[in-house]
Amino acid sequence: MTDPQTLRDFHWMLEILQTIDVGLVVIDDEYRIQSWNAFMENHSGRRAHTVKAKNLYDVFPELPKEWFSQKVETVRQLNIRAFTTWEQRPYLVRFRTYHPITSTAEHMYQNSMLYPLMDTKGSVSFVAIVIFDVTDIATSKLALQQANSELARLSRTDALTQLFNRGFWQECLYREMQRSRRHGHTASLIIFDVDHFKPVNDTHGHTVGDEVLRHLGRETRKNVRETDIAGRYGGEEFGVILPETSAAEALVFAERFRKLIASQTIQAEGVELSITLSLGIAEIDENMKQVEEWISAADAALYVSKDEGRNRVTVSSQNR
Amino acid sequence: MKPEAIRAEPIVLSDIQRDCYQEIANVAMGQAADLLARLLNVFVELPIPQVNLFEITDLHMALQSLDQEEAASAVCQGFAGDGITGEALIIFNDSNFDDIARLMNYTGEHSEAMHVELLMDVANILIGAFLKGLAEQLDLAFSQGHPAVLGQHKPIRDLLRPTHQSWHQTLAIEIIYALENHPVNCDLLLLFTEDSIEVMNKKIAYLLED
Amino acid sequence: MAIPVLICDDSSFARKQMARALPKDWDTEITYAANGEEALTAIRAGKGEVTFLDLTMPVMDGYAVLETIRKEDLPTVTIVVSGDVQPEALARVQKLGAIEFIKKPIDPDKTRTVLTQYGLL
Repeated sequence: MTDPQTLRDFHWMLEILQTIDVGLVVIDDEYRIQSWNAFMENHSGRRAHTVKAKNLYDVFPELPKEWFSQKVETVRQLNIRAFTTWEQRPYLVRFRTYHPITSTAEHMYQNSMLYPLMDTKGSVSFVAIVIFDVTDIATSKLALQQANSELARLSRTDALTQLFNRGFWQECLYREMQRSRRHGHTASLIIFDVDHFKPVNDTHGHTVGDEVLRHLGRETRKNVRETDIAGRYGGEEFGVILPETSAAEALVFAERFRKLIASQTIQAEGVELSITLSLGIAEIDENMKQVEEWISAADAALYVSKDEGRNRVTVSSQNR
Repeated sequence: MKPEAIRAEPIVLSDIQRDCYQEIANVAMGQAADLLARLLNVFVELPIPQVNLFEITDLHMALQSLDQEEAASAVCQGFAGDGITGEALIIFNDSNFDDIARLMNYTGEHSEAMHVELLMDVANILIGAFLKGLAEQLDLAFSQGHPAVLGQHKPIRDLLRPTHQSWHQTLAIEIIYALENHPVNCDLLLLFTEDSIEVMNKKIAYLLED
Repeated sequence: MAIPVLICDDSSFARKQMARALPKDWDTEITYAANGEEALTAIRAGKGEVTFLDLTMPVMDGYAVLETIRKEDLPTVTIVVSGDVQPEALARVQKLGAIEFIKKPIDPDKTRTVLTQYGLL
């Protein structure tokens, strides 16, 4: 006869498993539900007897069959536990959160553990699925990540033009140089500045000058390619890094951009004005040891554009 | 001068103890490798496991095999059983991802979620099987915590920046799994807390008895 | 007469476990080797009629030992004892001439069965 105390322990354990705030589901080798605790009943709104022997994927159509079956089969075949986290997939089965009104999350974030259950013959045909509610952890981690990436974005962005600031942009330039050297790929650098910017500030005031820079930032972001890296290099000086681009190709872009800006009218504080740009292009070459040399080459080309009457593009003499 | 925390003599491992841990790790990793080989359908080259005691602050130095500067990703999973606690880490350089994804027949776009998925799948198998093999040999059973992504796309030194220092020394077992004919390698690092070392030394003393 | 048995493993703990797993009633003279080179020297000296060989070892691993034994036709019967339980590892050592593969941790009953099977006991 069974010891009454053991029996009592057993009943306690069963009751705890039934009421514990963790989801428990047992499935057989054909994914038919064998056990289903109160957590599952309460969050799914379905009583145990209504899902008994039903196929798991019929009960939860949102559970991706191929993905989940692969995990279950690994557990069954290798006889090891497996885990899934909310970071790979926010939930296994879609439940509401415990704070449906105050929480920012629309659903319960879940971690899960899959556990092999031996049958009497020593093989694994049943698998236990344990579902943990990790909504609080997930939401706070997501909020933190968002805050961190926003901070990172702010620390590398120029507030006025929303382009990269000088520090970050130069870092990018350095990395591009490394990359180009390692893989033997080319890259070009365009440096441009606004012609006669000082008189704009002097005549119309800084608010108008700022609007000009803001406009230029907007147009730059709009016109560069996804892979190009644009930054505000100095006061009215800007730089664009064009990976995988020759000087000739950069010239096409620069010419188009120069014409575009010259054709536009900027409105600020009731003033209407037009600006022109002078641009210099330098393609990277293997003799350049430092990023400064690359910048100097583009800068020198920019000064040729200035000297030759502004509103024009010059390719560095080193690239000719 | 800054007051030093009071601490006992640092633990040292005898050659016999180190040898014993190495052998136990060797057997446990063989079982894990077998599962990995079957999953990926490749031959896994087994290395000789490295067993070392480290100051926790030097942890990143434990990972000699990986490029310290190159971006890497890691998953860690805690475990506890019979007075032995520690964490298992799976680390691989990001440059390995495409190859592993191909081996595991992952289709679809290479998203961040897939990245985590892959880390988890490899971690489940390597950590799960290793702990199972270790537990069997030491005659105990481990509870396993939930695996967590320690970091992604970061240099190793940033990934492994231990935050709290309540234990100073760690017993580290490092296993570098490499796949034959594929440019993939992945590090499994088992770290045991200082107080676990004594418990384990007692366990292996039993194995070493004549 | 005692049979010369060679146990080759880089781990002294593993060598000890192997020796302990041998049947008590088996009359043997055991020699130990810590790597493949030591093992070959012992086999050439006639100290390994039966060799228990680990695979993962420094200096010279088990695969290289098996190759040399086959190439030089050295007088020994080799049983591989390894933690590497991949089916591919098993296939490779059998191809190289090992008569049997015993997985670690070593099981005395399994050892006895294998020895009996090959008429060594």
